[in-house]
Amino acid sequence: MKIFVESRFKRTLLASAMGLAAASLGAQALAQEAVPSIDLMTTTESYDPIRYEAAFMIAERWEELGFEVNVQPTEFSTALERFYDQQDFDATILGWSGRTDRLDPQFFLSTLDSRQANPGGNNPGGYDNPDFDALFDQQSQAFDPDERQRLVMEMQELYKPDAPLVVLFHRDEVVAYNHEAFGGFEPMAGEGLYSEWGPMEATPVGDRSTLRIGGPQEPDNLNPLASTSVWGWKWMRLYYDRLVRLSADVEPLPWAAEEVDQVDDTTVAVTLREGMTFHDGEPLTADDVAFTWNYYLDQDYSYFNSYLAALDNAEAVDEYTVHFHLSEPSASFASISLSQIPILPGHIWSEIDDASTLSPDEVPTVGSGPFQYERFDRGEFMAISKFDDHFHADEIAVDGVEFIIYADMEGVYTGLQTGEIDVTAWRMEPGQISLAESEDHLTVVNVPDFGYFHMTYNLRRAPFDDRAVRRALTMASDRERMVNVLLDGRGEVGSSVIAPVNTFWHEAFIERFDFDMDAARAELEEAGYSWDEDGRLMR
Amino acid sequence: MNRSRLMKSAQEPIRAILGDRLALVGLAVLLSIIAMALFAPLLSTHAPLAVNEREEGSLFTRSVDGEQVRWLASPPLGNATLNAADYRDGLGMAVGRDGVVWRYAEGDWSRLDTPLSTTLHAVNIREDGATLVAGARGTVALWTPDGSWQTYDMPEPLNVNGIAWRDAGTALLVGGGETIWRLDMASGEVTSLESPVGRGFDLNAVALDVDGSAWLVGDRGLALHLASDADTPSLERLPGNRELNHIHIADSGAGLIVGERGTLLVRDDAEASWQSQDAPDSRAMRAGWITDDGHAFAVGRSGIVFEREPGGDWQLMPSDEERHLRTLMVTEEHYFALGSDRFVNRLAPPSGEHWFGTDHLGRDLFSQNVHGSQIALLVGFLGAALVVLIGANVGLVAGYFRGRTETVLMRTVDVMYGIPFEPFALILVLLFEPSLFIVILAVSLLTWRTVARLIRSQVLSLRERPFVKAARVAGASDLRIMYLHIFPNVMPLVFLELAIIVGVSIIAEATLSFLGLGPPQSISWGGILHNARLSGAWREAWWWNLPPGLLIMITVLSVFFISRSLELVANPRLRARR
Amino acid sequence: MSSRRSYLIRRVLHGFMALFIIATLLFFLFRLGLPDPTAALITEGLTPEERERIRASFGLDRPIWEQYFIYLANIVQGDFGYSFHYRAPVADIIWERLGNTMILMLPAIVLAYGVGAPLGAWLSWRRGSRADTSGIFVGLMFRSAPMFWTGMIAILIFGIGLGWLPTSGMRTLPYEASGFFDKIFTLDFLHHLILPALVVALYYLGSPLLIMRNTMLEVYGEDFIEMARAKGLPERRILYAHAARNALLPVVTQLAVTIGLAAGGQVVVEVVFSWPGLGREILNSVRTSDFPLAQASFLVMAAFVITLNLLVDILYTMLDPRVSFK
Repeated sequence: MKIFVESRFKRTLLASAMGLAAASLGAQALAQEAVPSIDLMTTTESYDPIRYEAAFMIAERWEELGFEVNVQPTEFSTALERFYDQQDFDATILGWSGRTDRLDPQFFLSTLDSRQANPGGNNPGGYDNPDFDALFDQQSQAFDPDERQRLVMEMQELYKPDAPLVVLFHRDEVVAYNHEAFGGFEPMAGEGLYSEWGPMEATPVGDRSTLRIGGPQEPDNLNPLASTSVWGWKWMRLYYDRLVRLSADVEPLPWAAEEVDQVDDTTVAVTLREGMTFHDGEPLTADDVAFTWNYYLDQDYSYFNSYLAALDNAEAVDEYTVHFHLSEPSASFASISLSQIPILPGHIWSEIDDASTLSPDEVPTVGSGPFQYERFDRGEFMAISKFDDHFHADEIAVDGVEFIIYADMEGVYTGLQTGEIDVTAWRMEPGQISLAESEDHLTVVNVPDFGYFHMTYNLRRAPFDDRAVRRALTMASDRERMVNVLLDGRGEVGSSVIAPVNTFWHEAFIERFDFDMDAARAELEEAGYSWDEDGRLMR
Repeated sequence: MNRSRLMKSAQEPIRAILGDRLALVGLAVLLSIIAMALFAPLLSTHAPLAVNEREEGSLFTRSVDGEQVRWLASPPLGNATLNAADYRDGLGMAVGRDGVVWRYAEGDWSRLDTPLSTTLHAVNIREDGATLVAGARGTVALWTPDGSWQTYDMPEPLNVNGIAWRDAGTALLVGGGETIWRLDMASGEVTSLESPVGRGFDLNAVALDVDGSAWLVGDRGLALHLASDADTPSLERLPGNRELNHIHIADSGAGLIVGERGTLLVRDDAEASWQSQDAPDSRAMRAGWITDDGHAFAVGRSGIVFEREPGGDWQLMPSDEERHLRTLMVTEEHYFALGSDRFVNRLAPPSGEHWFGTDHLGRDLFSQNVHGSQIALLVGFLGAALVVLIGANVGLVAGYFRGRTETVLMRTVDVMYGIPFEPFALILVLLFEPSLFIVILAVSLLTWRTVARLIRSQVLSLRERPFVKAARVAGASDLRIMYLHIFPNVMPLVFLELAIIVGVSIIAEATLSFLGLGPPQSISWGGILHNARLSGAWREAWWWNLPPGLLIMITVLSVFFISRSLELVANPRLRARR
Repeated sequence: MSSRRSYLIRRVLHGFMALFIIATLLFFLFRLGLPDPTAALITEGLTPEERERIRASFGLDRPIWEQYFIYLANIVQGDFGYSFHYRAPVADIIWERLGNTMILMLPAIVLAYGVGAPLGAWLSWRRGSRADTSGIFVGLMFRSAPMFWTGMIAILIFGIGLGWLPTSGMRTLPYEASGFFDKIFTLDFLHHLILPALVVALYYLGSPLLIMRNTMLEVYGEDFIEMARAKGLPERRILYAHAARNALLPVVTQLAVTIGLAAGGQVVVEVVFSWPGLGREILNSVRTSDFPLAQASFLVMAAFVITLNLLVDILYTMLDPRVSFK
């Protein structure tokens, strides 16, 4: 602290001396000013120790480069508000989770679209590149995958040298299951073992045929028109059917739909599988499907807005055929939207005018999915049982699924270790991984993630308005060390917002910004920066 | 007179402490903790938050015990990382950092004297035993079995990462910036071959195929193929785009390429194409080896060893320690894996180097515990002083003036009683930012209420005493009466409360830090326990759990012992019966 | 008698006033200090317009004063509102969590006082002996060790090491019972209760022990003890029949205060043992800016403390004639 004050004092002295010199020598020696200090916002240690430590690793190197850095660990929701709504930050470390529908490049690319730079939008850094925006529009309307792939790769090549953000790393989701109790799991990128397929694939090895999953998070509520958390939908999708389900390789598989046809640019026809029933015994028909989609349009449930954006209305043509009328052609409607919206029983929901205000006891839980709802004891426990009349029932080996809610990962791990649960729903902490590996009854699974942790610069503010500074700071961020030390090698240094595991869309040959302090210094020097005698960066 | 009374009231507690055995013990312990806090930088053996890393020339040997395969750590070969190794007809060579070269012959390792000082990355042995080594800044040297060294000058000081003998007279060298050099041994002449990609990606390894052609692999899945008689390599499309670190081709034509993120590319014979195979772990693989019949081995970060029976799946093999493995060396009898570049000394149990062991990031726990005393005592004493200052004054004023003043003050106390501690601290942290100031504020804001109540009830009875009435009659001002007449009489109680609240504050600080609400990057005992729990390693690493808790306990206990003797001063009736 | 009644009425009024001040304080503190409750939805990909609609559905689009008066009016009617996060009535959530907290804290406190007070009396009788010193030492030792640490060590030894006791939650699968009482009247629940309750009890043990011991020592000096002694009554009888009875008042006072504060639970114990209590819930509700839930939890805790403090005062006025009613 003391050194700090001293150097600042010296600097003022120096600056005034230089001011004098400049006055006497005319324009020859231009007084340079110290580069503004940087506040680096990150999460608190308890929210995420990895991002917290990463911030201090970055700060150390940036200080070496001559910047003054102040790390601000901030409570998560405060950080979100300051980053997105107020855009009041210099540089911020946050992340995007790898939700299955984000394997489509649309969403991650949109975080660099200048039209998302308004407060609350997904581009708080304010990166503004008209060429990028133009390409973005082109790719979202490109129906030909190869054409779209070319555009998406070009976009990655385009933004990367500008270094508007640093994709720090992709953290592997490391989960574990008890192979003495269950087997047959296929891990899914971004979802781990608690994917919608997990319970359908699990095969009992031991005595118990009810699969027990444990996790530290619980649904906010199980109202399909009010839940705003992934944890609500991860559970509800097991007892509601969708028209299409995404396979582990994120291929759309016909599910409740037997067939999906593109009738014309703005009409999608879906033919339903015959003989499906809801859990209360009522038949599932095209009317229910059309009702559901129109109901969602009607009820204005924000969570699904992006999936419904292109939809005008749904129409039941006959008992098993539904036509979706779109307002504009959409590349992602048939694959993404159809796989996200559940099918609700029309005979129940049509009675409900305002679904968002239902209390938990009033929320209908009747679906048509492979499992049926049993109970939800908040903070403790959820249960579903296998629905024997489902068309997929013969493929399912478990009797039912129970989800145990713990206070934190510590509790989850204890549950796994003592055999209380069979599978973890959430990634384990680094210290638990090595413990799990040494347990005979546990199998540890590494699932690469295509979500990413990023450090975004605020391009509206000095010094980040200067491309050279951003490039230099990016080169001075030792991400390899983060992966090696903080993640113990279980992750990958980020290169693009489209992750390397997303092989089809990822552009492998873009600038990497490998850690190189000398290159960072050179970059700054070239852009006209210099260092004062305390090593502080001046411009 | 008043001053002497004040003095006396201060002397009394000291005498009380000195007269009580338990209190003396407490005082001694507390003083040593204070000394620990004051001299923390001197006492610490390491920087408390520095990640401690180690490096050594690790040597792992494969052992088979019945069915069970284990890779066991042998005593390391010196302190320098070993980056590459090769073996041929009874002669093994391993090279590493700072020009280190180890020779393996007849089951023994011995270190060779070399004229080299730069880090070596590659080694390759010719049929006659002549060995070419290469490394950083264009270092290339040839060792001949007679013990002599010959160095070669390269056109540029680029890193050389891989070597292969093309024939007895020429070697291929690959390295940084897509460099491919052909070195003519006789003339020392270097020819630069042009890569068809030309984007400056690093090449990491080269291997000779059975037909005399060469395979070159490197950054971003780059793979080049150089026909035996050609000078221009062609680009090969292999599955994946991860960095490829090493290639090995057996005499039968079976081949193995390994790379980042568990990349494993295998071909079964010279005619087959390279196939990507699933790895049981997704961390970086650094070296691979495949036998003529397709039995394959791969090693990588964190002591990972994979093995694959011909045609089978890759299996993760148990290995001894979490060193980073960089290279494999296969002799007629043994399989060796060598490494280890800098690795984090995680979760090390107590040792001479780290007295209290290390945490999950290899940080020294003894130093953390020593530094932890600073925050504990700072919050303990500063918080207690603040609490007593507020509490005593509020109690004094409320008890002395009574009436409306009292009502307002005591209602405030009521309100304070209604606020729970931890959630309130969380709100403070959300409103401001986590800092030491917030912790002290939270502790003191919610503790002064007790003190105020106690002091007030004492003052209530004191103000009716004759000496107060006498002072009032004598015309003394309210302030004078309060602070000079009444206060000395509540002093013992104040001291007692002070001592108790020091203890309470220390526990409160530990609680907040344990919940993760403490100041960032500061080291406190509660924070150490917070980290231990957060990391998930606390159930094994007893050296991580025990010391901070014990330190909190003995510190608070010592304060409580002291407070007990003060209690005798505050409440003389207790003493009468002791 | 009338002065006593008016005193009581005044105390009750003061209690309500304190609650009102706390409610007001919290309302503005949360609204002005905590982040937007919809901020977390950004990561789910919601746009600003969509979030604004959600804010409106929470009533957060109205002027803050209007919100405040609606809030007050609702509280008076006993309506705590709807949780933003759970979309469920706040009252349901709080009663359940409060029940869970109390079912842990009450047995623990009763245990601590049930053992601590008699032990304290006994120690005072054996004052100065080795037993006295070690009794004080042990009591203070557990009072000095932070509960979360004692809890962690207890889990390590009895849960993980010896495997005797469950270490997290309130019950084991499968959960058959659904009602609160069905849930707690089982052996399984008792099994889960042992470790956390013991840890809490050990922490609280020192307090009744020392208070009892010290008050007893004071009481020994009183005339009626000397008299009893002069009458030649046996020491044991003097101890329990005369002295202890008179020394109980401060212990009972402390007990009431402790129970009052117990409503807030011991957050760290709930965290360490994954106990679904009110303490953890309140931390979560503040973290997620679930204003209705957080406000109501704070209020319930405050009401608890204030009521118990009030009871203590009343107890005093009944038992100790020296307290004036001014």
